[in-house]
Amino acid sequence: MEQVRKLLDKISVEQIKIELLNTAYGNADTLLARLDPRTLFIWYLFFGIAPWFIHQEPVLLGMFVFMVITTVMSRISPLIIAILCMGLLSQAGYMLVASWFFGGNWDTIMPLAVLTLKLSVISLASVTAFCAMDPEKLSDGLLKIGAPAKVSFGIAYGYRMLPNLLDEYHHIFLSFRLRGKAPEKHGILYWRSVIYFVKIAVLSFYPLLLSMAKRARTTVEALETKGFSYAGYDAEVRRIKLAHLRMQGRDYLFLAISALYVVLLFSLT
Amino acid sequence: MSLMKQRYVLTQSQKMMVFILSMSLYGLSNMITELIPAFRFGSIELSVEYFAFIPLTLCILFHPLYAAIGASLGEVIFGEIMLGQFGGLGELEKFLAFSLAMFIAGSLVRDPKNRRQVGIAAITGVAIHQMISSMVDIGKVWVGIEELEAVPGLAESVVVIEGVSFLNDVLFSGILFALLPTMYLVPRLYGKIEPLLGMKPRDNKIRYSLGQILGPRVIVLSIVAACAALIAEFMAESDMALIEWDADFVDTYGDWFIWISIGAAALVALVTILVMVSRRRNAGGKGVSHG
Repeated sequence: MEQVRKLLDKISVEQIKIELLNTAYGNADTLLARLDPRTLFIWYLFFGIAPWFIHQEPVLLGMFVFMVITTVMSRISPLIIAILCMGLLSQAGYMLVASWFFGGNWDTIMPLAVLTLKLSVISLASVTAFCAMDPEKLSDGLLKIGAPAKVSFGIAYGYRMLPNLLDEYHHIFLSFRLRGKAPEKHGILYWRSVIYFVKIAVLSFYPLLLSMAKRARTTVEALETKGFSYAGYDAEVRRIKLAHLRMQGRDYLFLAISALYVVLLFSLT
Repeated sequence: MSLMKQRYVLTQSQKMMVFILSMSLYGLSNMITELIPAFRFGSIELSVEYFAFIPLTLCILFHPLYAAIGASLGEVIFGEIMLGQFGGLGELEKFLAFSLAMFIAGSLVRDPKNRRQVGIAAITGVAIHQMISSMVDIGKVWVGIEELEAVPGLAESVVVIEGVSFLNDVLFSGILFALLPTMYLVPRLYGKIEPLLGMKPRDNKIRYSLGQILGPRVIVLSIVAACAALIAEFMAESDMALIEWDADFVDTYGDWFIWISIGAAALVALVTILVMVSRRRNAGGKGVSHG
């Protein structure tokens, strides 16, 4: 509990915001970021699904190495990788404990470890594919493969607004803390403090709901001035908007290298 | 009847406003809950599953369908794609189940000022969502393990685990983060938030009978959505996880490389934390630290 609290102290709101912005816009010059979104979708479709059906561990391990290389190449933010690792490790640990409870033994570790390996390949693939693209590229790519205009708008809007929203939420949260009174004793396992913070966290949404409602209205009015809802369904508008997406030599090269690597892995085992 | 239709008629841009509002707020809350650690006592996990009160409040105050879809999309975008946890096809199941549960909860309320109604709708929404997820999880094990009955105790233990987690989610998360906040927020926001979006509050003078609420449209929609959710989940996970329990490969290969991968994951986590700590310390030394 103490460690968790210390760790949380290190992860401040500012830090998270900076990391997210870094993830979104900080790595436009990496090799993966310059690829066409469709290339990355195809690539993800393979590495995100295929591991479920592969049972040879060397192949999975090879894929894992490849994913680590691409993740390093696309300079993913450490925060995201930390969250990912914590999730994977805690999931595996929980399943292990649960299986012991119901008569499992050390042999259960092995299948669970393979499962964790699979999951890490899949999650690293999605991290690489979706974080390598900047938001504009991702939403254009989704639009190109036929997602509704609302989805691509939502992504662009999310990336643009999230830092502001986090900021605002943080401000409200802090002002609640300023005006309120923290519990004098922490209680067993910090339960008093936990309840206090949870209550503030929930209450802070009340002002945010109202201010966000105002903002939503402004946004929609601005969108309608640009004719968003009609442009979204118009084929010609889509064509012009997406004309800049083009598969180039490096896209094919990247796919070819990936395919070659996978074939090599299979033939070696 | 004409009055009832009146309530559901929103202009295109009003629908978009509800959608954006729900998406960004629930997305934000999702990002926050992703970062709150869970407390575990054995197999019972006290975790903040989600801040369900946000979509519940919005579904009750506005058009349930657009608020529900907006919230689900917000979860996928903010909580998954932006944090790099996008699960591909498995997300589809979550998306459908959550939209369905929130939509039903929103349609159940006819008078947002009536706290009892709001409370019942809130807890029903959470229960429906958790019920669908538990059933999908149990179904996954039934499909995933070919000879489930052959493994002693596993079938019972899966049902027990899922049942416990269902009760835990509904009674702990559901009451603390869905029931109480929704009952607090809805009557307060009713009549205040709607003018900000340029629309009239939901008219509470219209009374529906239960039969009207659970009309054929809702029932058909829920069945279709439930089936779609199941299919999506099966497609995503049909050949997964628990199949590895037949352990014939354990003797074929050593298990050292698995430890390497787990060790690598742990090492990366450790190094990341260390780097972040040292970075913060540097930043603090220059006096630009933020709390």
